[in-house]
This record gives sequence, structure tokens and C-alpha cells, in this order.
Amino acid sequence: MSENKLLFNTGSLDELSQEIGEITSTEKSKLELNPDNADSGLAKLVLTLIELIRKLVEKQAMRRVDGGSLTDAEIERLGETLMKLEIKMEELKKHFNLTDSDLNINLGPLGDLM
Amino acid sequence: MKLLIYAIVSVKDAPGTLNSLLTGMKGTSGMPLYSVPFNEVSVVVSNINSEGLNASQTDAIGYAGLIETLAQKFTLLPMRFGSVMGSTQEIADMLGKNMNEILRNLEKVEDKFEFGLKIFCDSEKVRAGLKAKSAASAKLIDKPAPEIKHSVYLDYVNQKLKEHRLEELLMAYVDSVIAEIKGTLARLNSIDKFRKTGAEKNIIDAVFLLDKNKKAELIKVVEGFKKQYPELDFILTGPWPPYSFIDITIK
Repeated sequence: MSENKLLFNTGSLDELSQEIGEITSTEKSKLELNPDNADSGLAKLVLTLIELIRKLVEKQAMRRVDGGSLTDAEIERLGETLMKLEIKMEELKKHFNLTDSDLNINLGPLGDLM
Repeated sequence: MKLLIYAIVSVKDAPGTLNSLLTGMKGTSGMPLYSVPFNEVSVVVSNINSEGLNASQTDAIGYAGLIETLAQKFTLLPMRFGSVMGSTQEIADMLGKNMNEILRNLEKVEDKFEFGLKIFCDSEKVRAGLKAKSAASAKLIDKPAPEIKHSVYLDYVNQKLKEHRLEELLMAYVDSVIAEIKGTLARLNSIDKFRKTGAEKNIIDAVFLLDKNKKAELIKVVEGFKKQYPELDFILTGPWPPYSFIDITIK
């Protein structure tokens, strides 16, 4: 960006540079599928979708807990389910050698998925 | 020979000026720029050489630079890099079919520039500040879910509930910042688009469409935002061609 386009800035430009870097780099969002890595490439895609759905379910569950619409027993059962889901996800990520940031794919101008 | 399209330019006020500006200007791959006139508009194009369009980053930046130069003098609809048509006749046909929409969009962006505003924060600090600021909120966050008995599952729900409530507080704060900025910018007659990013640092992305002569006023307004929200960082950029405000589907 040319200097005269920066009209006002109160912070470090590092964040902006980092963001531009993420948008222009395709590494983070690229799904690499080839005969040698078909398993892990597909696992990344599938786990990304599962993680997104898990987080949405968790968010909705917390809204319901917060709203007081669940019984004590239901909250207990919900806690057990969410906890087991999270543990299972951790196991799967470890198995396929993936991290949280691997699953948080960058959607360009729309930002990160999660 | 195919043509690379840069912008659809309104020439109703100065029909002859565009061609004199384009004289000597080079487009992508060094090809000369020229215009294809049609009623009140002209389309700025260059020929694509026999090797085809080189889609390098340098070319894309050069392409954007050319549109910016044109936007300084004319009201225009910028085209996306890589917009190609087969001939001048094809361009004329496209203009004929879409003229109403093109004129409506040109009217919307007439004598206006786009400005971008990115708002950054340290989300953790802001969350802590929000929690500390509001005793009521802090109490709410620490309030556990209805307790039936102590269990690892209930502890888990409580932890998730705390995180959820903090997230809701942060989102409410972001909404309040957006509402305040929108209200202030309304006084400048801006058209704006805001996006809550949900990211940890860059929490808000916004673009404004403003009269070309209101740049200095906008800078002052953003300086005011910084005073009002010292915990946030603001990056204001522009003026840009109206990339984010063109609403047209070419038939």
C-alpha cells in the first residue's frame, strides 16, 4: 500500500501486514490432495467441518443453558456429551497430526472460518 | 483479439477528456489503453497479446493502479482483474443490455471515493476490561449453571458458560462500537458496510462511500473515535475506487 493511502493509524502495522500475508498466502487455506496425502488432506477437510459443527452445537447449547430452558439432569448430560466430543476431536487431530489453526481455514476476504 | 476491461467510466460531463488522458498510458503487459464509447459511458480497455493474460501479482497491482488514476478524474465502475471480452462489439452489446443498471450504479458512486477502516484490539484485554468495568456483568459471568451436584461434567459446562458469556459481552461491545461509528458517519452522509470479523485482533472491517471532498473530515472523525475508544487501534485507508459498492450482475 502506498504511503499516501494510509490516512490514519494508531497502532502497529504488523497486524495489517499479517492479515495481508494471510490473504495472499494460499498455504493456510489450500487443501492439498495428491496420491501421497489423500488421507490427511481429506481428514483436514472433514475435521474442519466437524469442528465447525461442534462449535456451533456448543454455542447453541450454552445459549440454552444460559436461557434456563434445560433441567439440571439435561445440563449434566449435555456437559458429558460436549466434553466427550471435545476429547474425541483432540484424539482425531492428534491422529492426523493437525492443530487448531490447521482447521481454522482462511476464507480470504471473509476472514477465518472459526 | 480479446480485450482486457479496466473500468466503465461515466463521460457525460467531459466526453473528450478520457481519450486525452488515455493517450500514452500503458495497460497490462505494456499494451496501450483506449476507450470503447457507448452513449454516456466509455469502457477503458487494452488488447491482450497473443500469449494471453499474464495473471501475475505485479500485473494485478498495476491494473489496480490504473483504475485508481482514472478514478481521480472520473466517476467509474472498476472491473475485477481478469475481466475479458472478445471484441468491441461484444462490449457494446453488454453495455446495451445492462445500461440501466450501469447508470444506476454510476449515479450511486458519482463524485465519491471509498475508504476502508480496520479496527484492531487485544481481545483478551478488552474482555478483561469489560468484565472489570461492569460489576453486574462480572457477577453474571461467575454465576454457575444450576447446580445439582459437583461433577466434572458440570464443571465443564460452567467453564464453557463463562467463555460463552464473555464472548457475548465482547460481541455486544463490538455492536456498540459499530452503532456509534455508524451514527457519527451518518452526519457525513456516508454509505457504509460493516463486518464483525469474529477474529481475536481485527474485530471490525468497514468500508465507507463518501463525497470526494470529505477526506479531511473523515480523518478528524476517526481521530475522535480513537479518543473515545483508547483501547482500540484504527487504520483508515483511502481514497479507493468504489470497489465495495458496485451492485450489478452483468447479463
